[in-house]
Amino acid sequence: MSEKVSPIEALPPASREYGQLEPPSAKPRWGMVVDQERCVGCWSCCVICKSENDVPLGMWWNRIETIGDALDTPRIENGRLEMHWMPLACQHCENPICTKVCPVQATYPREDGVVMQDSERCIGCRFCLVACPYGVRVFNWGRPERPTDFDTGMVEPRPVGTMEKCTFCVHRLSDGQVPSCVWSCPAQARIFGDLNDPDSRVSRLIRDRAGQQLLEERGTDPRVFYLPPRRKRGLGT
Amino acid sequence: MSTVATSAEPPVAHRSARPLLVWLALLAAGLAVGLGAWIYQLAHGLAVTNMRNPMMWGLYITLFMYFVGLSAGGLIVASSGRLFGATRLKPVVRLAVLEATVAVMLAALFLLPDIGRPDRVWHLLRYPHVTSPMVWDLAIVTVYFLISATYVWVYTRADLARRGSPLALGTGTSPADERRDERLKGVLAGVGLPAAILLHSITAWIFGLQIARGFWYSAIMAPLFITSALVSGTGLMILLALVVRRAGRVSFRDELVSYLGGMLAVFIAVEGFLVFSEMLTAAYPGASFESDPVMRLLTGPYSAFFWFEVLVGLAIPFVLLAVRRWRMNVGLVAVASALAVVGIFVHRLNLVLNGLSYATVPYPPGVSIGTAQPAGTDSFALSLFYYPSLVEYLVALGVLCFGALVFTVAARVLPLRETAHSQAASEDR
Repeated sequence: MSEKVSPIEALPPASREYGQLEPPSAKPRWGMVVDQERCVGCWSCCVICKSENDVPLGMWWNRIETIGDALDTPRIENGRLEMHWMPLACQHCENPICTKVCPVQATYPREDGVVMQDSERCIGCRFCLVACPYGVRVFNWGRPERPTDFDTGMVEPRPVGTMEKCTFCVHRLSDGQVPSCVWSCPAQARIFGDLNDPDSRVSRLIRDRAGQQLLEERGTDPRVFYLPPRRKRGLGT
Repeated sequence: MSTVATSAEPPVAHRSARPLLVWLALLAAGLAVGLGAWIYQLAHGLAVTNMRNPMMWGLYITLFMYFVGLSAGGLIVASSGRLFGATRLKPVVRLAVLEATVAVMLAALFLLPDIGRPDRVWHLLRYPHVTSPMVWDLAIVTVYFLISATYVWVYTRADLARRGSPLALGTGTSPADERRDERLKGVLAGVGLPAAILLHSITAWIFGLQIARGFWYSAIMAPLFITSALVSGTGLMILLALVVRRAGRVSFRDELVSYLGGMLAVFIAVEGFLVFSEMLTAAYPGASFESDPVMRLLTGPYSAFFWFEVLVGLAIPFVLLAVRRWRMNVGLVAVASALAVVGIFVHRLNLVLNGLSYATVPYPPGVSIGTAQPAGTDSFALSLFYYPSLVEYLVALGVLCFGALVFTVAARVLPLRETAHSQAASEDR
């Protein structure tokens, strides 16, 4: 098999510059802000995630939920059609339940808060899949099938019978680059950075725009924050 | 069930071995089919089951916790006979502990086909994670199996020694040996009852500690699991006792069946009460994290299963067993026990499937299914109506046949009948 190439690395140097992380604090806690005011539901982040992380067919680490009636279909609210989107991947919780229930510590929080998954240790019991309130973990039910006959991206493929999920593109973080979903968003709806630095872009946005956590009442304390749309958009009067 | 069932000492001498051989051959065939299905599953992955990301646990896990429950009969009958002086249960104590041993072994076996990487099962010993209820469960299942197996040996040891069987492990039949048996039985009863309660509670906490599942996240799970275990365990105990008596391996009077039936009626009543209490508490707010799954159970895709559980699994057997005249009829007690055993299985099925059958973040397109879909088919689902695939049924059949095989052979080899010797020994005490 040929040398693996990240879909982003293949682009000119300017793309690297664009994907550079803000300089983090001494002990960073990585977090993400998703601006629902900006998201247009185009699925670019989901598609680049699949090629960056070599995610097989039928599996998505990252997906776009429609806050509406059905997929990309608005609902009627007060006589107006309304719709926005909620990109959804691993929430990298501060208090993750998946890591607590794993019987072999195959999923664990890193020092910087990223929730990792060890495909070599995982026994495939799917306890974490049951436990996760966000439905963002995906299991290799069968042998992974891919549209190409070669692997893509910068990550080792995962074997049958094991769990996998979003890793905030840790292989890119160690290279000083933002996750590929952040890099690829055409509307710049995703912002990534250090939550421990009060002056980082993510920290400021969460403060200024009242960032919300998904299923906050479950106590998982996600490190992905959603900025709700500021004005309702829709057709009609 | 006419003459044999009413006589305390059925004739055993001139019994033909042929039905037994046919039965064993059928079980061996079932086991072979199950093994074949498991090998097929190993080769193709869990994709050959009907489990997918939105519905990630199914028949295997249901049978796991069901068999954990079925093992209850054994140690409860054995320990309470000892601790609370229910000496009437004595004639079936050996059968009860054998049932517990086989049932808990089957429970553990049902986990093997469920996990995606059975080749890595040793990771549970190499990297155990103490905060995981699954690790606690593994520990208690092991302990419980060892206690049950020791129980079987202690109860049958003296008779095995009298026969000169190597299974007596070189122990003798002196009064000193028998006094040691009695001491051991007392210790085992003291350890066995708390172990049984822990076993069912920890199995309950696999589900009851899941913050993402409104249908499960409840403190009532552990008491409910203990009660379900008592219902199904006692029900199976009654059925096995009748079958084994028919085969001439134990003997007891019909009053014992009625007595066990009376216990079963109480257990069913408590089960019904706990289910009702849980559902009322969860449903009362009308619309919430807890009440939505209850509403789905009452009216959704699994509602038929739920009403079956209530009517056939709880109401009918309770009435059959609560009326004294009917409880005196061995045939009716057997019917009620069978209904309770099936009813608890459906209860377990409802618990797993209804607990999982919805997306926790309920927006379209939903959760990614996890297998490559044919062109033009959606690879997302918001909910999934799960039913087991043929492979799952066959693997389950194989495990069941293996259990029946072990039980049959053990019931043939081990002296399950209380003998005059052992009775005298315990009366001396």
